[in-house]
Amino acid sequence: MNAIFEPRSVAVYGASRDERKLGHTLLRNVLAGGFDGRVIAVNPAGGEILGVRATSTLEEGVDLALISVPAARAGAAVADAAQAGCRAAILLASGFGETGSQGKAVEAGLAEIARAANMRLVGPNCMGVVSRHGDGWLNGSYFWRLPDAPRGTAPGSTPPGEAADAKSISMLSQSGAFGGMFFAEARRRRLRVARFLSVGNSVDVTETDALDWLASDPATGVIALFAEAFRDGLHFVAAAERCRKPVVVLKAGKGRAGARAAASHTGSLAGSHGAVQAAFARAGVIEATTSDEFFDIVHSLGASGPVPSRDVAVLTISGGPGVLASDAAEQLGLRLPPPGEATVSRIRRLAPQFAAVGNPIDLTPQCPAAGFPAAIRAVFDDPVYQGVIVINCGLDVPEFGQGVVAARRRTGKLVTAFVLDAPRIEAELAEAGIPLLSSPERAVAAYAAAAGGLYRL
Amino acid sequence: MTLTEWESKALLRGVPRPREALTHSLDEAVAFASSLGVPVVAKASGVPHKTEQDAVRVDADVAAVWDELAALGDGTVLVAEQVRGELELIAGGLHDPQFGPIVSIGLGGVAAEVFQDVAFLLAPPVPGELDRAIARLRCARVFDGYRGRQPVDRQALQRILDAIAALLVSDPQVVEVDVNPILVRGGCPLVVDALVVKTP
Repeated sequence: MNAIFEPRSVAVYGASRDERKLGHTLLRNVLAGGFDGRVIAVNPAGGEILGVRATSTLEEGVDLALISVPAARAGAAVADAAQAGCRAAILLASGFGETGSQGKAVEAGLAEIARAANMRLVGPNCMGVVSRHGDGWLNGSYFWRLPDAPRGTAPGSTPPGEAADAKSISMLSQSGAFGGMFFAEARRRRLRVARFLSVGNSVDVTETDALDWLASDPATGVIALFAEAFRDGLHFVAAAERCRKPVVVLKAGKGRAGARAAASHTGSLAGSHGAVQAAFARAGVIEATTSDEFFDIVHSLGASGPVPSRDVAVLTISGGPGVLASDAAEQLGLRLPPPGEATVSRIRRLAPQFAAVGNPIDLTPQCPAAGFPAAIRAVFDDPVYQGVIVINCGLDVPEFGQGVVAARRRTGKLVTAFVLDAPRIEAELAEAGIPLLSSPERAVAAYAAAAGGLYRL
Repeated sequence: MTLTEWESKALLRGVPRPREALTHSLDEAVAFASSLGVPVVAKASGVPHKTEQDAVRVDADVAAVWDELAALGDGTVLVAEQVRGELELIAGGLHDPQFGPIVSIGLGGVAAEVFQDVAFLLAPPVPGELDRAIARLRCARVFDGYRGRQPVDRQALQRILDAIAALLVSDPQVVEVDVNPILVRGGCPLVVDALVVKTP
């Protein structure tokens, strides 16, 4: 598995000079991502492609063979890579098990070739691998656009200017296209991504194998998974139980259409999702029900990791939205204790007399700008709270954003935020890696997932 | 292949049940009913969807209905003490192709299929899992007693789920199990009806 995520040498089968071919995209992505190990192209015509030497067969094994050839030629490519002694191969080609029983037999044969040569095989029918590599990426995928590589986030280093406890996210997907959604969200939300693997038809390497590897990967803090079906369900449960990192899962295919023909009430009530629910409960994974919720949860866990307490402060200058947030918090099992006396008296000295110093803590828009940092700090310092949900509609006072960022950095507490029409504050918070969610309720739900509201229930 | 209620219950070892007997003659039934000394329910045996087939008689005059029920079913009649409960639950189990045996617990009664308030657990459940499954139910609070009622005996519920799990784990031919309804009387869950489906 190391050869899949951290190869030192890569071969690209099907590398082409023709820009319209996927094999061209793949080789270009490997080179453009910043991979600095040995790269070789495999193409019957030989010569040179994108400045890389091409050979008709692989003369010597590499760590990772990326195979982008039509299905009919995939067998020969897998056999060639196995013969040369490659440690792992990713078969990106489609046209196998997803097409029917004949394709299933063909891909099982490919797995056999790989197994006999002690070579791990990812795919087929997948989008490939993306993995942190120095200050850039190993981009062994068809993906057209990756997030910017975060500065200095090579495994083991602490990025300057970012919270030291921020956790990098690794994503496993049974769907290639969902990987596109992941990278788009990662760019939009500026998530710190460590690894991505599209497992496709999982003829050899399954999501469980990859989960096991990520569980002990020092660069990974949070594991995200998109699944449609589990090839080895109980192994997945065991791997997730062993994993000490939060695992967030979005499971597609919950409808009645896929449900069994039931002979009993139990069967019809279970539908296609009853067993999945049972398995996720045992596994201790966090299940998201929509893609929005999935990315929200990944975002908040990626900012701070799990938080061991349900006691949270809703800190706001906006009455109504603050109350919406506290309603949602109660519904999701969070608690909203009032601040301690010391906190109340510190805030009273800074905010107007009519400020509501309960929970929500409403500093009001009339709070003098200079008072915000100290008032916000008072809330963060209060030992009653393990974290803060920040709500600000339209008061774009830089001191507010600076106060939140400084207090969060000082205390390391979990923060999620809903900020509306306050671009300077939004920029300040985003830069500090604080998750900005698109409604008060979503800010609360993202917090609750990290704080145990949905976690291991 | 669907087993009869009596056969199904026999496979669920150690679950709390009403006092009941499978009777093979009218005389045996009358004698058993009078030994109970409480109102009884009489049920035809080997009839699927008993309620829809009018194969269940409550407050039964056993002598009057025995022949009719015996003819409706397999020639035997199940006679049981009639149980009134404050709460109706449903439990069950099945073999899932991805995750193996699973068991379920949830809200029973005529509206069970409307509310679909059921939680699922891998079988056999591990300690603590039943409590967490109940906490996931929308009706979780009814398990803790409400309006002065007794909380549901969780150890007895655990025994029911353990029995379903043991059956599924020990016999791969058991495809699905329905334990429906479980009537809760004074906090004690009693298995009133059960159905085991096996592959032939």
